[in-house]
Amino acid sequence: MTSGPDSKMECGDTAGELMELLRKTFDDPPQINPETNIVADLGLESIQVIEYLCEVEDHFDLVIDEEALADVQTITDLADVVEKLIHR
Amino acid sequence: MSLKSRFDDVSRKRDALSEVPVNPTDVVIERVLSATEALIGGRRTIMAGTNNYLGLTFDPDCIAAGREALSEAGTGTTGSRMANGTYREHLELERELAVFFGTTHAMVFSTGYAANLGALAALLKPGDAVLIDSEAHASLYDGCRLSGADLFRFKHNDPASLSNRLRRLGDRASEALIVVEGLYSVRGDSAPLVEYAQVKEKYGGYLLVDEAHSLGIYGDHGRGLAEHLGVEPSVDFIVGTFSKSLGSIGGFCVSRHDELTLFRYSSRPYIFTASPCPSVIATTRVALRKLEDQSELRDKVWANAKQLYTALENLQLDLGPHLSPVIGIAFEDRVLSLACWQALLEAGVYTNLILPPAAPDGRSLIRCSVTAAHTPRQIDLIIDAFMAVCRQFGIGRDAA
Repeated sequence: MTSGPDSKMECGDTAGELMELLRKTFDDPPQINPETNIVADLGLESIQVIEYLCEVEDHFDLVIDEEALADVQTITDLADVVEKLIHR
Repeated sequence: MSLKSRFDDVSRKRDALSEVPVNPTDVVIERVLSATEALIGGRRTIMAGTNNYLGLTFDPDCIAAGREALSEAGTGTTGSRMANGTYREHLELERELAVFFGTTHAMVFSTGYAANLGALAALLKPGDAVLIDSEAHASLYDGCRLSGADLFRFKHNDPASLSNRLRRLGDRASEALIVVEGLYSVRGDSAPLVEYAQVKEKYGGYLLVDEAHSLGIYGDHGRGLAEHLGVEPSVDFIVGTFSKSLGSIGGFCVSRHDELTLFRYSSRPYIFTASPCPSVIATTRVALRKLEDQSELRDKVWANAKQLYTALENLQLDLGPHLSPVIGIAFEDRVLSLACWQALLEAGVYTNLILPPAAPDGRSLIRCSVTAAHTPRQIDLIIDAFMAVCRQFGIGRDAA
């Protein structure tokens, strides 16, 4: 896991920003909350998850190693990963 | 989750496919009639969904070379390259590949999958950074994962996305490996290798290009997209396969870096498998010569590609962005794509149906490919079948 030199984003509402980014991937956004399971609850295909994660990386200006995502299921899980990278 | 219950989801998906008259994953080719035709369901069918780009699978010289090798060297090597599986012909093919690509080194693997797995697993180690196109082939992902390197994806065919990630990697960027394909096999779009080379120039690192689907098609000599775009000096490693334009089976990695020779001692997918059988090596060597010498094969496959792509574009189907011998037609509706694929097959045209997660964007695709061996008449018949499907299902220009 590596955060770039320009990672200055504060993580006040990381989960909120992640949910907003996720909503943008849908034409008709479903209900999303911090405990939403990104794959199981939303029925996203793996390529859509990858595209979402690329958006997350660009939004927070960091890169996320695939291994760091191994145990991520919910928005809260992903927020934990992002916040750790921001504070590295 | 128990060992058996983890297959429940796969079982459900398989059963869903079984509900249609012909399961697209269970098509049986009853008899191969030529490089472009086969019997499927007792029907003579035009094969418009293969990777036989140069149409060499029935080339008389390749077949003769294979027969001779079978007679002289037997059916198989029965051993790995490190043991009893290195015949003089394996080394000659490696030398010929190095000469063909203008590199100093070449390695032959038993399949294209093994080449990607073996090259990446040997090249990368835990702690390394590898940046991979989000739509790269599974074998490239598997190779990266086998290596234990830190894997970072960038957006498909997006040099800015790659550049941003290299910037964020900081000091690690100069030793990072960038992994892309030449021609992408689902949508038929090609990589922006010139821009990738510029990004690499800026940040350092290494570039690996999988020319599996672009070998034989691109470049004056058929070396692939890197040759076509004039960026071969920027490419550190080229991997590819014999199972597409060369019409056999096997894979390779070529490079100017001397370290490639050491892969032979560290690449488990190279070491722990039997080497390609003699007849495969023999047909591949002849096919490689034809690929280089017979540029008219490239002319034919591109003429066929243009004929089909233009016609499907006129039908207002949702095609990939680039003209190429691979033409992917995207569908928003999975059931509709399945019905169209079925109708094409019933009309005597075999295509590939690609469903998520294999298809990009979460959409479904019907993938067509053309070969140098297709006649203009066969391309017309493929077009006719698509026109009928458009009318039957109200898609493309026949949409309501």
